[in-house]
Amino acid sequence: MGSGTPSPVDVVIVGTGATGGTAAKVLSERGLNVVGIDRGPYLTPKDFSGDEIKYVNRNFLVPDVLLNPRTYRQDESETAELSAFSLLPQVVGGGTVHWAGWFPRPKPSDFIQHSLHGDVPGASLADWPYSYEDLEPFLTKVEWAFGCAGLDGADRNAPYRSRPYPNPPMPPTKFGRAFYRACQKLDINAHPIPQALVTQPFRGRKPKHLTGFWNLYGDPSGMRSGTATTFIPEALATGNYELRTDCYVQRIVVDRHGNAEGVIYLDADGEEVEQKASIVILAAGAIESARLLLLSATERHPDGLANSSGMLGKNATFHEYVYATGLFDREVCEPFDGYAGHYLSGGSMQFYETDERRGHICGSIIGASQVGHPINWMLPGRPVWGEAAKRADRDYFRHSMKIGMCLHDLAVESNRVDLDPTVKDAWGMPVARITHRSHSNDLALAKWQLAKNAEILDAAGAKQVTSVSHQRCTGNTFHQHGTARMGFDPSKTVLNEWCEAHDVPNLYVIDGSGFPTALGVNPTLTMMAHAWRACEFIADYHAKGRKFRLDRRPAARNNAGGA
Amino acid sequence: MASRAEWQRITRSVTGGPENRLFFTAHEWATIDAATARIYPTDETPGAREAMAVRFIDRYLSGLDYIFASADGDAFLQISGKDRDAWRIRIEKLQRKYRDGIRRLDDVALTEFKTEFRHLDAAQQDRALEILSGAPKPRRIQVAEEGEVHVQNISDDDLEFFAMLALHTRQGTFCDPVYGGNAGRVGWDAIGFPGPPTLASTQDCSYGHADKFLTDFDWGDLIPHLKSRGR
Repeated sequence: MGSGTPSPVDVVIVGTGATGGTAAKVLSERGLNVVGIDRGPYLTPKDFSGDEIKYVNRNFLVPDVLLNPRTYRQDESETAELSAFSLLPQVVGGGTVHWAGWFPRPKPSDFIQHSLHGDVPGASLADWPYSYEDLEPFLTKVEWAFGCAGLDGADRNAPYRSRPYPNPPMPPTKFGRAFYRACQKLDINAHPIPQALVTQPFRGRKPKHLTGFWNLYGDPSGMRSGTATTFIPEALATGNYELRTDCYVQRIVVDRHGNAEGVIYLDADGEEVEQKASIVILAAGAIESARLLLLSATERHPDGLANSSGMLGKNATFHEYVYATGLFDREVCEPFDGYAGHYLSGGSMQFYETDERRGHICGSIIGASQVGHPINWMLPGRPVWGEAAKRADRDYFRHSMKIGMCLHDLAVESNRVDLDPTVKDAWGMPVARITHRSHSNDLALAKWQLAKNAEILDAAGAKQVTSVSHQRCTGNTFHQHGTARMGFDPSKTVLNEWCEAHDVPNLYVIDGSGFPTALGVNPTLTMMAHAWRACEFIADYHAKGRKFRLDRRPAARNNAGGA
Repeated sequence: MASRAEWQRITRSVTGGPENRLFFTAHEWATIDAATARIYPTDETPGAREAMAVRFIDRYLSGLDYIFASADGDAFLQISGKDRDAWRIRIEKLQRKYRDGIRRLDDVALTEFKTEFRHLDAAQQDRALEILSGAPKPRRIQVAEEGEVHVQNISDDDLEFFAMLALHTRQGTFCDPVYGGNAGRVGWDAIGFPGPPTLASTQDCSYGHADKFLTDFDWGDLIPHLKSRGR
């Protein structure tokens, strides 16, 4: 791709990850002429193998923090410091290249947080402009197009689904079996966690990857569902999608009527290119999409593009992964071998819904999972050197199991992404500054659930339980949401119910940016369904000149008995 | 080429001992070898010394040729473009931290015992490492009162010298042998990890743990309500 001005296209998509890949497929298959742009390279399965140093310590997949730093502070009184906060892989496929593939559905309560809990002090809960029922057809489409495995009926309180899972789950691992048995003792409804992988031959893919090098590693086999090996090749096969890699989008261009005209990016050779498009879609993740809108400020949009509400970047939620590890007596117990499997083996949604007797609102998915590999296996309180260090590995590397949670953090308006006033990246562009302090409910929820996870480990027979704690968000899940909240009111939200910017009628943000609140589950399935829904609207209505708005709020429908 | 997808393969040797060192001086090699042997000691099974953790660290610090193994493990990737600038800065910083850290370790040894670190006995070396680390030698698994946070990608970028050396010792003991550590797979054997024979075997998935999944099981036994529903 040389410099200059290539031909205008129908749609330009910034990002090729979970949501950008979904958009590429949906729009190109509907005949639109699409260009997709990614900051990173297109790595393919042959580029990957089970190399712990490369993926877990030297961080081959994520952007180099020296080139692409972020800064973090807990609140405005602090000066933000350099941080490797939530550095998602910067490659075609994005987070779906390194993920474990947690693919649970959200629950209806996730979409009506304000209706359920009202005005919680210190938080800014909101209802989504659509409901679980609205999203359900798209959850199903994603599950079947992308490939996922789950056990129908295993979660007793699972919400309605219109189709069963496309694949059955993997058999339990040994630590998975211990988890199921312990949950049975405590009357907890354990079940396989739906996961984005194939367990039977499925659309040309085979379940042949049993190496155990799974979470944080690229997949050399195609067993795991990732957009780089599914939706992106499918989009390319239509002939309507052109992929441009190693290109850095620097700003969105807006014409004098306030419509988006296209994007300006530096191509792989560092040359500036302007790609014009009738519709501009951002799918760069909630941090980078917000940053790009802020970087696109002009005289007419001095506080950033699509920010007349002043809400851009605010209400950022990031989840946090916290866990307890149980240590078992190797003289008594057979080894769990927590380096094997596909990271997950058993989980529960038992504690998902609010029970105020616990002293907090909301809840989170929990899951039993691999402890990892020899260098970095997850042992909180590890003795870092000496005989004790060796004893810990020898006694417990094969004899430990971990139960973690995906912390549902409440939306807080002051938790946000903006541009750091002083720190620049290697291209001279201001970096994203994260301001985030955990709400007291987040702290209470983490503490309660970790104690419950420890109780399950006790029931499984652990002789000692050791856990991390949650004091502040570190971005360790790579989940990003909420920086461009969607809703009906343009004075309080950035995007409308179709992910279109209130201020810019042909600019969409289809990643997690639009989520008004976080979920209690890993967000990728919801994000992809959210993107699919927006892209069907774009292709079937916007591109045909038949845009329309929803005029009812889901809460009203719920009150009318629609939930 | 600048794109990570197009980085060239370069062949580099990770074999040999102190005579093949690339970064450390003979004194530095001996000092780090001695320190790693106390950090991950040898007992009835091999430790960091037999794993050649010092060689792993020496190769890592030597420049940009030993950072990322190729996927099949037969070569290393030649980092290019802006990534090369970043890694040059990172490695130069690590080199300075090691040179400075080794000097401090010897300073502590000379102050306490009037002898360079590498010539101390094991108990004296442990004492010097306690002073360097600023904390007693750990005796057991112990979570600090304020807890610790979980980090997924564990980089050495912001670590103090001792914490960095401890991490690199672990890495040199348990890495894939293509990086020059875990010689003869002694680290993996010591803790019972059946690691892959080659990286290539993880790439084509001929290596795997099918035996770690249950074969004789019934979901209804594990999830009782399924049984009551007649599944």
